[in-house]
Amino acid sequence: MAAALVALLYPIPFERSGQIYYETVGFLVLLNAMLGIGWNVIGGWAGQFDFGPSIFFAIGAYTAALLSIHFGWNAWLALLGAVVVSMVICAALTYPVTRLRGHYFAIATVAMWMIAQPIGATWSLINGSQGLFIPVAAGGSFVHGILTMEFPGRGKGLGFYYLSLLLFVVTLLVARVVERSKWGFYFRAVRDDQDGAEAIGIDSRLYKVIARCLMAAIFAAGGTLYGFWALAVFPDQVLEVNWNILPMMAAVVGGLGRLWGPVLGAIVLIPISQLMTATLGSGPLAGRGIDLIIYGAVIMLIAGWRPNGLLSLPWAQWAARFRGRVPAPSGRG
Amino acid sequence: MTLFLQAVADGLQMGLLYALVAVGLAIIWGLMEMINFAHGEFMMLGMFGAWGLSAWLGWDPLVTMVPLAVVMYGAGVLVYRGLMQKVQRGEVFTQIFATVGLFFFIQNGVVALFTSDYRFIEGSLLTRLSGANLSLGGIRVGVPLLVGGLIALGLFLLLYLLIDRTDFGLALQATAEDRDAAMLVGIRPQRMYAVAWGLGTALVAVAGVILANFFSVYPQAGLSFTVLAYAIVALGGFGSILGTLLAALLVGVVQSVTAAYLPPAFKDAFVFGSYILIGLFRPQGLFGRF
Amino acid sequence: MPALLQVERCTKRFGGLVANRDVSLAIEPGEIVGLIGPNGAGKTTLFNCISGSLHPDEGRIVLDGTDISRARPEQVCRLGIARTWQVVRSFGRMTVLENVICGALRRTTRLRPARARALDLLAFTGLGGKEDVVAAALTLADKKRLEITRALATAPRLLLLDEAMSGLTPFETTAAVELVRRIHGELGLAICVVEHVMEVVMPLSHRVVVLDHGEKLTEGPPAEVARDERVITAYLGDRYRGRA
Repeated sequence: MAAALVALLYPIPFERSGQIYYETVGFLVLLNAMLGIGWNVIGGWAGQFDFGPSIFFAIGAYTAALLSIHFGWNAWLALLGAVVVSMVICAALTYPVTRLRGHYFAIATVAMWMIAQPIGATWSLINGSQGLFIPVAAGGSFVHGILTMEFPGRGKGLGFYYLSLLLFVVTLLVARVVERSKWGFYFRAVRDDQDGAEAIGIDSRLYKVIARCLMAAIFAAGGTLYGFWALAVFPDQVLEVNWNILPMMAAVVGGLGRLWGPVLGAIVLIPISQLMTATLGSGPLAGRGIDLIIYGAVIMLIAGWRPNGLLSLPWAQWAARFRGRVPAPSGRG
Repeated sequence: MTLFLQAVADGLQMGLLYALVAVGLAIIWGLMEMINFAHGEFMMLGMFGAWGLSAWLGWDPLVTMVPLAVVMYGAGVLVYRGLMQKVQRGEVFTQIFATVGLFFFIQNGVVALFTSDYRFIEGSLLTRLSGANLSLGGIRVGVPLLVGGLIALGLFLLLYLLIDRTDFGLALQATAEDRDAAMLVGIRPQRMYAVAWGLGTALVAVAGVILANFFSVYPQAGLSFTVLAYAIVALGGFGSILGTLLAALLVGVVQSVTAAYLPPAFKDAFVFGSYILIGLFRPQGLFGRF
Repeated sequence: MPALLQVERCTKRFGGLVANRDVSLAIEPGEIVGLIGPNGAGKTTLFNCISGSLHPDEGRIVLDGTDISRARPEQVCRLGIARTWQVVRSFGRMTVLENVICGALRRTTRLRPARARALDLLAFTGLGGKEDVVAAALTLADKKRLEITRALATAPRLLLLDEAMSGLTPFETTAAVELVRRIHGELGLAICVVEHVMEVVMPLSHRVVVLDHGEKLTEGPPAEVARDERVITAYLGDRYRGRA
């Protein structure tokens, strides 16, 4: 509850002091948390390592942009369109490769991502590497902005923060429903033992596809949001490796498979990246990917020592000890 | 028609180099079913090593190949003992994750030290030979690439002899077949694994050293080679050394022919697409037995 | 009355090795059939062919009139065959209850009835009270019990038990046999048991089928099969022939 309040009120002080930058950081945290939840569906619940989810981020951004530019669709309709298109393409692409397991599947997702890059750069429909620009009408109230995802001028940071909060909450709710549904159980069964799952009647191929399509839907929504925020969609931006790795890292660092894991992960990771950019600024180490070095090191450390992520650390025990109480030995294994 | 044959000839030569890139992965995979997302990064390190020594000390890559191989062997062993050993017994997911972390760490470490600028080797033997051609029945065969390919082939044969004819190679094969049985006859699997990692890393780094003569050197060069290597290993039958060679030649030819007829950006797309097709229709690879 | 499961001349090869050669057998509704044979006889391969993990190279497998020779495992389950595994497979990161719910979801889409059914079955098989234990933390005997419970949750007509008793202490074995009896008695399923332990299989089965080197050696009531010279030879070698 406290968290919800914080989330709602977070941008207000920055708005007052005119430091829009922090609102954007919040926007990025929420966007990546949302994508992280999406990645968790295929990576944490279904247990399939997907290294190329950004293709759906890109599909989402491009579809929404095209719908907006060529048909004048409202942003939210465009988002729906983007989600549907993304899920259809995902199903078509994923079903054939569901026969692959573990490493093989992971590499197939990388291969798809690498094939997407030249397509993005040369396809005339999406203007190739010259990108698509989303037109924005001038003026309009804040409410109008929420309805159309257009915030010309000053309201942009605040507006997109709340938009991302909205989408994030929707994603979280959807994930929660799925987690407690038949799908949620079936995903985890496929993850824990695919053969055992098949033997109790679970079509593992189908559920891998469903899981990935859910991820694709969430990434498409995120892509749409990003597109309207950036007002332009460029292939190397929406297919950038960061959109592959940050959601995944957020999910793992925060606790793979846990609903709130990606949120925690995003809150931890994004500020690191921004801090790097801020402190190293324009100095000699700027743009040198120091943040990714740190991410890489963090990933290795977690893989080697704490594969279950931050949420698996015994926070409760530490807190109790900190407060001076000696915790009773835990009953669970 | 000549265009096609030329593409095939070029592709075969590149294929030899690809074979060297992929064989390290094949060994590691064949031995312990681990995939290394950072495989291409070691190649890239080899490229940078060659470039650096060439630019600062003027040493020819063909010479620095040897010390670099030794250093990268050590790096491979270090990676195994420091990280992979810990995740080997765990879930597949964590293993993938660990090497992904390694991938980001190495690639961006190099970016931090050297920036993403493209570098080129100048003045080495092979670059000075550039332009020298042999003509075989109307097909132009570039000398430098041919020399590079032959070196790769030579190393490949050495590796084959090592695996097939020495006691050590036998021990390696034994561990791959049955780890527990190997332990019973006194082989220490941990040692085999460490050596496999060292060997695999050294080989791909050497491939990088050779390739640095023909390609620009930059930190992001690694990933597409990792996927390429994986595609080759999958095509070749996962762990079969000879299969890797044949698959690599095939991949080289496919890539070269594709580049001759389609926009250059797509040359890898066909290879990656074939990986997916192989995974679907013939998971044991073209030449392997599962 | 047509048999529930009809295996007709099933042959399965792995390269040069013929794991099953021309094996035919029938399982009637509600009977317990024991499948025995020395190591390497092809018992698990046969199970795998029936359950859909493998497909026979020759021959047919028919369940209640439906040809399942080429069916995928999930389809076979849907048609009414459930199995357990030689090396126990549990969904390690889920709790005992969640494991069984996964099985129960085969028959109902909604979570509440699935949960209720899972709880009932756990009480029936003796795992009541352990619902919230993470599966990976169970003892081997309990893991096997869980696997059986989960299989039962899919409401099968035929249950295949692959060496369900292996690795158990004598005490645990007795409890397991009790469970199988109870499952058969109260749920009325047909059960096919692959087992090495003779003291378990013989008293439990109505009928026993013997495999050796991939072929069916003989079948019949347990008492007859136990006296059959060929069976004794297969297990113990020529020296013991004639000593029955």
